[in-house]
Amino acid sequence: MNEPSNEGLIVRYLLGDLSEQEQVEIEDRAFSDAPYLQDILAVEADLIDEYVRGGLYENERRLFETRFLASSKRRQKVDFARALARVAREDVATETVGRRALTVAPAKWWDSFTALLDGASPALRFSFVAASVVIVIGISLLVAQTIKLRGEITQLQAQRREQQQGQQALEQQFAAERARNQDLAARIETEQQQRENGEELIRELERRRDESQTTPSPSVLSFVLLPGVSRSSGALPKLSIPQMARLVRLQVGIEPGDEYKTFGVELRTQGGQRIWSQNSLSARSGRAGRAVILNLPARLLGAGQYELALKGFTGQGKTEDVGFYYFEVLKK
Amino acid sequence: MELNGDTFTDGAISGHGGPPNTHAKWVLTQPAFDGLLACLDTDREAAGRKYVEVRSNLMRFFEWRGCAFPEDHADETINRVAKRVSEGEEIRNPAGYFLGVGRLVLLEVYKEREKQQLALSELAYTSDEHQSVDDLEPRAECLKRCLEGHTPDNRELILQYYQGEKAAKIENRRKLSARLKTPLNTLRMRALRLRERLLLCVTDCLKES
Repeated sequence: MNEPSNEGLIVRYLLGDLSEQEQVEIEDRAFSDAPYLQDILAVEADLIDEYVRGGLYENERRLFETRFLASSKRRQKVDFARALARVAREDVATETVGRRALTVAPAKWWDSFTALLDGASPALRFSFVAASVVIVIGISLLVAQTIKLRGEITQLQAQRREQQQGQQALEQQFAAERARNQDLAARIETEQQQRENGEELIRELERRRDESQTTPSPSVLSFVLLPGVSRSSGALPKLSIPQMARLVRLQVGIEPGDEYKTFGVELRTQGGQRIWSQNSLSARSGRAGRAVILNLPARLLGAGQYELALKGFTGQGKTEDVGFYYFEVLKK
Repeated sequence: MELNGDTFTDGAISGHGGPPNTHAKWVLTQPAFDGLLACLDTDREAAGRKYVEVRSNLMRFFEWRGCAFPEDHADETINRVAKRVSEGEEIRNPAGYFLGVGRLVLLEVYKEREKQQLALSELAYTSDEHQSVDDLEPRAECLKRCLEGHTPDNRELILQYYQGEKAAKIENRRKLSARLKTPLNTLRMRALRLRERLLLCVTDCLKES
């Protein structure tokens, strides 16, 4: 397992801020991947140090105190971290003072100053000493004041951070609300549009219904075509189709001996152009004998002469010409 | 590795956030302990080392999960595993098996804690206790004494590695790594080992004084 460690995740784990599943994953990895375990321990040490030095955010500090400090062993670690922080601080101070002493020692002003005092009168010496004491006290007060101010600044900064976080949360909430409002407005508008469209459709349907009631013209026309009419015949059946007609129903009569499983038709113009065809048709028996019924859109039939070829399909998959029917269409 | 008279009993840790004492009492015997070691490694020395590692990992696990008595819970877990081994159960992945049993113990600990409402009392206890830093002085003195037992290099490492906060700390460590010509990760592990040794030393020192 060479995946990099996610320190943020480990911190949340140590503070008990992860789901059970995430905790289990971290533990499983920790006890099977030695470097990862070491990472957790190192992060734990840093977390304790942050706590001791007051570097945790409020919520982290709360979690730390409720969960992290549960065992005495961990409390020992925290106490140790306090001691370490203190010794480290002292070490820095000692080092700084040592360094300052090293840099100050060779300076000649101190020698000159002591030489001056050596040669001065007691009153002058006393004045110098008094002034030095005042200066030292003044500097000490200044240092103390600076430390106090720094503490206050840190506190203020923490407060400001919290306020900013709160403000960010409010802004996010506001943005989410605004987005939701916009979404709702869009949905209302869409629904309104749909309702208007629906009303328009209803009006249109009502208008058409009224029209159809006022102008009663047949939308479906029925004709009978009988076999035995040749193209050259002067008396072609005439199909008079009004402009308003939508469907033309043709009953194509067949001879009693024409027994086929199914029938198919092809409608061609006088020039031989196929304009419509249909298969899998069955013959039906009626008062006028047997016929194949066709329903075709009236718009296909313009004024002119037509040829309708009727084919029969046998059960063995063979196709035979049954007959040809001719008629003329007149448009009204 | 001998048992040295240690006795591990089922349910022995109840009463302070431990599992309830519902199981029949089972005492870890020397043969059962030997069986446990044998399932960790065929070589007894290696098995001993693994046992210590398993126990320490279990203690960490309970500590990470916010238990007040990680040591007791770790022993309870080991006890249960030893019992199962003595009953003839075969363990193929000891680390995973111990952790699995540890999780069951943890569930019982949580249940028990809920029942006794220990969480609240622990909260009060930890918060109160950590307002007090009365023993900081002797602890710091002990730490200084313990540091004297280390080489100057190690002293410098531990004191400088853990100095500063957040960004300053990171920068400080980067500089230290460059100065000591040691990769950051190695430095981190060295500091951690030193810190653990110092923690033990300080604990002993406080006991003596």
